Amino acid sequence: MRDIFQDLFNKVFGFFRQAEKEENAKDTAVNRLRVVLMQDRTNLTPELLEKMRGELIELLSKYVEMDKDALELNFEQEGNQMALMLSIPVLRAKDEDEIETENSEDSDEAEEKPEEENLDAENSESTEDTESSAEDTQDEESETKESNTNSKDKSK
Amino acid sequence: MSGRVIVITSGKGGVGKTTTSANIGTALARAGKKVVLIDTDLGLRNLDLLLGLENRIVYTIVDVVEERCKLKQALVKDKKNPNLCLLAAAQTRDKSAITQEQLKDICEELKKDYDFILVDCPAGIEQGFQNAIAGASEAIVVTTPEMSAVRDADRIIGLLEAKEEIQSYKLLLNRVRPNLIKSNDMMSVEDVVEILSADLVGIIPEDTGIITSTNKGDPIVNDDSSLAGKAYNNVARRIMGEDVPFMNLEEDRGVISKVKKFFSGLIGKEK
Ligand SMILES: Nc1ncnc2c1ncn2[C@@H]1O[C@H](COP(=O)(O)OP(=O)(O)OP(=O)(O)O)[C@@H](O)[C@H]1O
Ligand SMILES: [Mg+2]
Repeated sequence: MRDIFQDLFNKVFGFFRQAEKEENAKDTAVNRLRVVLMQDRTNLTPELLEKMRGELIELLSKYVEMDKDALELNFEQEGNQMALMLSIPVLRAKDEDEIETENSEDSDEAEEKPEEENLDAENSESTEDTESSAEDTQDEESETKESNTNSKDKSK
Repeated sequence: MSGRVIVITSGKGGVGKTTTSANIGTALARAGKKVVLIDTDLGLRNLDLLLGLENRIVYTIVDVVEERCKLKQALVKDKKNPNLCLLAAAQTRDKSAITQEQLKDICEELKKDYDFILVDCPAGIEQGFQNAIAGASEAIVVTTPEMSAVRDADRIIGLLEAKEEIQSYKLLLNRVRPNLIKSNDMMSVEDVVEILSADLVGIIPEDTGIITSTNKGDPIVNDDSSLAGKAYNNVARRIMGEDVPFMNLEEDRGVISKVKKFFSGLIGKEK
């Protein structure tokens, strides 16, 4: 007899726990809508997002070794604001030498194409600044907030 | 007199633009205002059916722009309410039969004699929509609490904001189902208002009475006992500048609120 009640209790309790965990239909709708409207409003197409993703991978690989396939660039909601969230699974940060060689490889190329010299100079400068922060994020997912977009407030 | 031209629009089809036009128009006329309803859904006219005027239409808006009749001749008087009349759409022509400029001219002329000119807009954002908003300075954006309808409403709001002539727009939320909202299965009124960040002019409940009233050709605002009818009447009053509180549709529904009522009733009696 007790067992039956115990069993029933567990089932009922388990049901409620499960219901709690799952996002309800209304919240799902609200969150999906927020994301899709942000894309509609900013005209940021999936193609553009994909291009951004590619360029970010290229830039960041100079400094960190990461799981490129798992890199995510998505719209997410943060309180009342929409944020473009970049999540990078970092395997390890590259050490100074690696970064140096990669940058000097770059500047070799730059010698052949002098018009790119300026850009590369800027890049090697920023290397030092970024170095320490790259180490901080070693072996953890670093989340970078790329931009914040206020939802429009034009209602009249 | 210089009347107000209000376009009823939505983006997504079938969310209740025509129902809303017929009901707000009728409610305004019942309040003593002189009202013209313009059906701009060329090829898919419906407003005549909702008003029960389908047998009285001789001339349409296309006849007016093609000068086969005078504007006044094309206005069909409502059966019940002499303050209300309809300028019907042509059923056999497509959207290109009228231009924005022509619709603007018609609205300008009607403004002289009427308090309100309500323009029922076709679905979509193409020429039919552009025509419908051409003569308007106000808009009512109809949506339901469904994702696709809200998304399309957002698109429409963007287009209305870009249009200088539109001085204000308001949101009308149709087919609201309080029991679904309560169980968190449907977005709430607050959710939709927040997402679209627009002012609300009305909340209309889902109501099977709307189907029967459509079948009879008699707008539901004429039925004083109907909840949707009351809600549409409130919209009309808000349009006329009255400050009418929004009905609480969740009241009197569901077991819990009934139980609460029962208990509060008991407590009340004890006093
Ligand atoms: N509040 C409501 N409760 C129940 N049914 C409704 C409600 N509002 C509208 N309807 C029904 O929804 C259907 C579509 O309504 P309506 O024709 O007014 O939409 P519409 O936006 O004008 O459509 P279209 O885009 O095709 O012009 C109709 O069958 C109508 O009876
Ligand atoms: Mg319609």
